[in-house]
Formats: sequence, C-alpha cells, structure tokens
Amino acid sequence: MPLLLGRGVTKVFSRLIALDRIDVSIEQGEIVGLIGPNGAGKSTLVNTITGMEPLTEGSFEFEGRALHGLRPAAIARLGLARTFQIAQPLRNMTVRQNVAVPSLFRAGPAAGVAAALREADATLEAVGLAPKADLPARALTTPDLRRLELAKALALRPRLMLLDEVMAGLTPAEVDAEMAMLRRVSAGGVALLVIEHVLRAVMGLSHRVIVLHHGRKIADGPPGQVTRDPDVIRAYLGTPSPPGSAPRR
Amino acid sequence: MSVGAQIALQNAVNGLLIGGTYATVGVGFSLVWGTLNIVNLAHGALVMLGAYATYWLFTLYHLDPLLSLPLVGGALFAFGYPLQRIVINQVVRAPFLITFLLTFGIELVITNLALAAWTADIRSVTTAYSGRSLALGPVVLPAVRIATLAIAVLVAFGLQVLMTRTRLGSAIRATASDQEAARLMGIPIAHVYALTFAIAAASAGIAGGLISLSFPIFPAMGAGYTLIAFVVCVLGGLGSVPGAFLGGLLLGLLQTYAAAWLGPNFDNIVAFGVLIAVLLVRPAGLLGRAARFRG
Amino acid sequence: MARGPQPRGANRGALLLAAAALAAALAFPTVASTYYIRLLTGIFMFGALASAWNLIGGYAGYPDFGGAAFVGIGAYTTGILMVRAHVPFAAALPAGGLLAIVAAVAMGSVLLRLRGHYFAIATLGFVIVLQQVASNLDITGGGTGMNLPVARTFTAFYYWMLALLVLAVTAGIVLPRSRVGYAIAAIRENQDAAQVLGIEPLPYKIVAYAASAVFFGLAGGIYASWFTFIDPPTVFNVDFTIQAIVMAVFGGPGTAFGPLVGAIVLKSLDTVLTNISVFFHDIFFGALVVLLVIFAPRGLAELFRAPGGIAAAIRAEVRGQRI
Repeated sequence: MPLLLGRGVTKVFSRLIALDRIDVSIEQGEIVGLIGPNGAGKSTLVNTITGMEPLTEGSFEFEGRALHGLRPAAIARLGLARTFQIAQPLRNMTVRQNVAVPSLFRAGPAAGVAAALREADATLEAVGLAPKADLPARALTTPDLRRLELAKALALRPRLMLLDEVMAGLTPAEVDAEMAMLRRVSAGGVALLVIEHVLRAVMGLSHRVIVLHHGRKIADGPPGQVTRDPDVIRAYLGTPSPPGSAPRR
Repeated sequence: MSVGAQIALQNAVNGLLIGGTYATVGVGFSLVWGTLNIVNLAHGALVMLGAYATYWLFTLYHLDPLLSLPLVGGALFAFGYPLQRIVINQVVRAPFLITFLLTFGIELVITNLALAAWTADIRSVTTAYSGRSLALGPVVLPAVRIATLAIAVLVAFGLQVLMTRTRLGSAIRATASDQEAARLMGIPIAHVYALTFAIAAASAGIAGGLISLSFPIFPAMGAGYTLIAFVVCVLGGLGSVPGAFLGGLLLGLLQTYAAAWLGPNFDNIVAFGVLIAVLLVRPAGLLGRAARFRG
Repeated sequence: MARGPQPRGANRGALLLAAAALAAALAFPTVASTYYIRLLTGIFMFGALASAWNLIGGYAGYPDFGGAAFVGIGAYTTGILMVRAHVPFAAALPAGGLLAIVAAVAMGSVLLRLRGHYFAIATLGFVIVLQQVASNLDITGGGTGMNLPVARTFTAFYYWMLALLVLAVTAGIVLPRSRVGYAIAAIRENQDAAQVLGIEPLPYKIVAYAASAVFFGLAGGIYASWFTFIDPPTVFNVDFTIQAIVMAVFGGPGTAFGPLVGAIVLKSLDTVLTNISVFFHDIFFGALVVLLVIFAPRGLAELFRAPGGIAAAIRAEVRGQRI
C-alpha cells in the first residue's frame, strides 16, 4: 500500500485550473521530487494534501486513510508534515520553543512541556541549530529559518514530509549540506516529497521525479528519464527552434 | 388588501424609511474604514454632534432642520478634518487595537463634553410638519421619514458621484487601494485621509440632523449608532457606497419586522444577530470586497 | 509567554517581591481607613480584569472588547441567586463564574472564528446586546435593576477581590508555561503554522477566552454584592473592558505582572482625576487614553526594563509604530 495516494486530484480557483486530474503516489521511504515551472501547481498540490485547500475533485489517502474533510491539524497529527515555501516560524518564541510545539501536539501520549523542550534540543542538534536554541525565531537568518522549518517538521515524527523549496537561495555548499541532511532523514524511515527549483538537488536526492506543468502531470519516473523527456524539456524551455534559425552574430 | 398584508406593507415601508437613516449613518463609517482602515468608534458621537447642532440651530435660530443640514454637515466637516489630521493620523498605521483605543478615547471625550455642556436631558426637534403624513393607498408615510429617505438617497448618490467621477474620489480610492503607490504618484496622503474623514464626519453630521427629527437626542445616543454603522458596513461590504445604502435599507427592514414580531426593545439584539449571521455566512457583504478577516 | 530558562535571580527576585506585596496587602485593612480599603479593592478588581484580559488579548492575540458581558453575567447570576433563591454569596459567586464560562464557550465558538476588527466589534456588540436583554427580562429586574442584600462587613470584599487578583495573576504566570499555553502562543504567532504542527486552533482559543471570562464573571459577582445595586448599564458597561485593555496594554501585555502594574498606575491616576473633578473625570480619562496612545506607545512598562524577548515583542506588536 502506498504511503500517499492521490487520485484524480483536481483543484479549480474561480476560472483557473490549478490542478488537473493528477494521480500521484508515494511509497514508504521514497524520496520523490516535484518539479515544474512557476505556477505549475506544486504548492497548490501540497496545500491540498495537507488540507489547507479543499479539493474540487479527486481524493487523497494516507496509509489507506481518506484525507477528505480532515482539518489540517488532524492531517498533521496523522504523520504528514510540511514546510512552507516562505518560512513560517513562530516569530516571538525561541527556536527551542518553536520545535517544542510540534512535540507537544503530535499524535500519541501528550508530552509534558519540560520533556518537549528537552526533545527539541535533540532535534535542534540534528539540524545544526543547537547554538541558536535560545534566540527568538525572528532573529534567525533565512537559511536558519529553513532549518527551523525542517526541525519543526521533524519534531512531528512524521512518516511523510512535504518540503517546499528548502534549497532556495542556498549556496552550493549549503545545498550539499542540506542534501546530506535530507538523506539522513530519509534513512530514518521518513518519505519525502521535495518541491524544488534547484535541479541538482532534486535529481541528486530523488528516487523518482514528478513534473507538473499548468496543473497537469507530464512526467513521472526516475530522474535520468525525466530530464530526457521531450515534454519536460518543452515545458521548461519552450519549443526548440529549427536548426539554422538562430540569429547569427 | 387584507389587514395582515397591509400591516406587512406598512412595516416594509417603515423599514425602508428608517433604513435611509441607517444608510446615511453607515456610509461615512464605511468610507473611513475602507480608506484609512480605521474603525472609528467615535462615529456615533459625530452623529450625536450633528443631532445637537441641528437642535440648537432650530431652538435658538429657528432654522428648519432640513435646511440646516448643509450647515451641520459643513460644521462637522470642519471638525473632522483637524481631528483626523492632528489626532487620528498619529495611529493610522498602528495595529487596530490601538486605533480602537484611540477612537474610543475620543468618543469618551466628545460624549462627556456633550454631557457636561448639555446635560443628559432628552431633547427632540418638533417642526410644523413633524406630525404630517401622506397616505398612499393602504400605507401611511410620515412626511419627516420621506424627507429623510430622500436626503439619504441624495447623500449616497452624492458620495458615489464624488468617489467615482471626481479627482478627489480617484485619489481617495487610489489611497485606499495602495497607499505607497498613491504616495509615489504624488497624492498627499495625510491630506486625502483628512478629507476622507472630514467627508465621513459631514455625512455623520447630516445623519444626526435627520435623526433629530424622529428620534430622541441625548449625549449617550452615539454608541447605538456606531453599532448600526458597523452592521450596515458589514452587510453592504467594505468601502462600497451603494453597498452601505442597501445595507442600511436591509437593516431597517430587519429591525422593523423584528420589532413588529418581538416588541420594541430588541433593536440592538437584532442588529447584533444580523451582524454575526452575515460575518459567518457571507463575509464579503452584499456588494463589497472581502477583507481578510476569518480567523 | 515563557522565555525559556530564566536566570534564577530574576525569577526568584520577582516572586519574593510579589510574596512581600501579598503579605502587605493581607495586613493592610488592619491599619488603613475605609477610603483606602475601598480604593485598593477597586485596584484589585481592575488588576484582575486587566490580567484576565491579557489571557485572551495579550497571550492569544484576540483583543476582546466584550469582557463586560461576563461582568454582567456574573453580576446578575450572583444577584439573582442571592435575591430570588436566597443562596449565600459564597455559593452564588462561583455559579456566576461558571455561567460566565458556559457563555464564553458558547459565544467563543462562534466569535473566535472572526479576526481583527470583526472579532473586536462583534464582542463589543455582545455587550450592547446583553445590556438590552437584561433590560427586557423580569428576572433581572429589567431596566430598574436589582438590589442585593447588604453584607455584614465590607472588608470581606477587599479580600475577595485580592483573592481574585492573585488567581488571575497566577493564571497569567501558569498558562503560558503550560501545554495549552504553548498552543495559544503558537496560534497567536502564526495560526497557519500552528495548524500544520498539529494544533486545531478553535478549542484552544476557546480555552483562553473562557479563562478570561471566568475572571470577569467572578469580578462581576463580587462587584454586585459589594455595591448592592446593579442595573444593565452599570454592569454591562463597556468601560470595564476598555479600562482593563488600557491597563493591560500600557502596563505590559504578554507579561504576568504588567497588567497589574498598569492597573495600579492608571487607577491611581483615575482616582486623582476624580478627586479633582468628578464631573470631568470621564473626559480626563478619555483624554488620557488618547494621549497615552499617541505619546506613550511604548507604555509604562519601560519604567522597569522588562527583559527583552517575548514580552517586548508582544508589546511592540500590540502597540505598533506610528506613521
């Protein structure tokens, strides 16, 4: 049974078809990349999976359980975590407190505040934010904010994480570090859906890549295959011009 | 026509007539909220000032209330401009809690100054035509209420023309829409804000004048009208003059029918009930734009 | 909001100070005149109201303008039970608090779906409406109001209000450090983020709202028995709420003791103004609010340099900047 199964997923905003009858599945332990030009519907897909936007048509199942009608908080507690494209920290709480929150509210026996704070320290250690644990979240730099998003998602002890452009704006060295971290997370048994524009990262990490364009899925397969897919190339680059038609200098 | 239908029709007419008053109360409030993003808790106090101004002009100088409306409007305009420019402008960009506290403080000052100056005695304005009414078939139309509705229509129409056909109106709408861009285009923001507020104050004053003809005048009367203004705004949608007008009529109808069904002391309860219902069900109001407001 | 482990010194110091103040307050009526006992009772009441408002307005970020609704509910419940059912005060009072909680849960589940201006005005409307409801009902004595039995001693109310204040401030200390408090803080900071972290917002908002309401309700009950006469405009009076808000905002929203400080300072100022002129005291108060909002957005708490972090941030957010 796939971890996440989406069938005929369709989302329409007024007259804009943001998602058009998409089928998607993610297996346990997989790393699936989600790419596509801007406006392809990637973030909308994540919003519909996590319950922040209702679907117009179609359905999602997580571990065999229908997600229809569930509130975002309930979906999160099922073990489905996400990060936001623009980081959404709890700005005036400390970094440690930020990470303690999901520990307190995930499914399972309710942890006490002290235990949650201790556990947060361990998570911060894992993502490399331990030195900044006492700072208010609003004081963090953008890369650190991304790490904080990741830490918060991890603290939910999810089985699937939806990562929305965690690599944006990072230097190549930072991208490598982030990729290593995500591999460690995946090794821990968490499936990942990675939305990215940084193609090196997506291709390097993913077992499988899904490509969206204008709300439709136009490719779904191993990275090497997808990059050679003519529909994908056309979506990103436009139609190649006939030989000899390029302007001469 | 059966008696039941006659009563229903009379209620409808009464509702519309009083709705005109509500519309005038609400339209300025909507303007300030839509443009300056300020919920003016002192709006009712401005209505009260308009009512008293009309009363004193009538009592001391025998000036007919309907004729004195432009004067009253002008006076409130002159009061509103510096009030905004000097006082309220300080907090225009502050979180709304602060603007609430500020306008509440202003309301407190105005209402208690009125109380000190004019005592809590209830006043009213009674003219030669106060008791007259027009019988139109099975329905009775009090002359005063007809005049009120007519003026309400004029005010709403005038404001709408101002907003859509004049340069000032464009400036106001531009500022409401994007303050920074308006500033960059050379629109003097503080002045536009003050003018908008002054116009709203003037309309509140005129509303007060209309109210003085039919309702009791006393310093504490403002609070109820602020609530009405709010409900009218929410019903009609933010920043929309026609919306506020329709919202006023609708509220007038609802209250009149509720009073017929439940008795006379339920007007605030009905207003509040309507408010909650609309906020939960159709937050954008009848005609206006939806603001980000759901929690 | 909890700021994480504090330097031990600061915490202990504050608690010692509070304990000393409490001891002094307990002993006070033995040496003071009736005038000052009455004055302090009023300060305790507003300290409790301001601290209670802080739970929903400061910590949860939902500026409630309807606290007076619960004052009225508590006042009338206590009054009705005492007068019509001959229930002793000590039992009637908690009933008032309980009814306030019930009302808060009922209204909160509707109103807390709104945000910003809309929430504020809806709660304001709630007060205005209840005032009218109370005027229409017979059981409340309608518009003429209701008289409560006179108590034997009047110092009792000093202690009742003091107890209420201690409870309210304690709630302000305990709540933000608890699991519920973390949820409330997360919702305040970023409701969308809170949701994807597993927090369903509405129930927690209702908890904060009800926690605030119970103190307003109990204060109303004590007030009713203390003043022995209540009528709709007196108890369903927006002034209770506005004063509580002003005190909390200028004393330090988001801290446990800030609202109390605000209450002490503002109530003292108010008393001075009243002594100058009863007649003009409301005008002065209104002008004071206006001036405070314009000239002292950073508030009175700057007198004590509160450690930065969450308190300063909430304060800054609540007060905002000028153009």
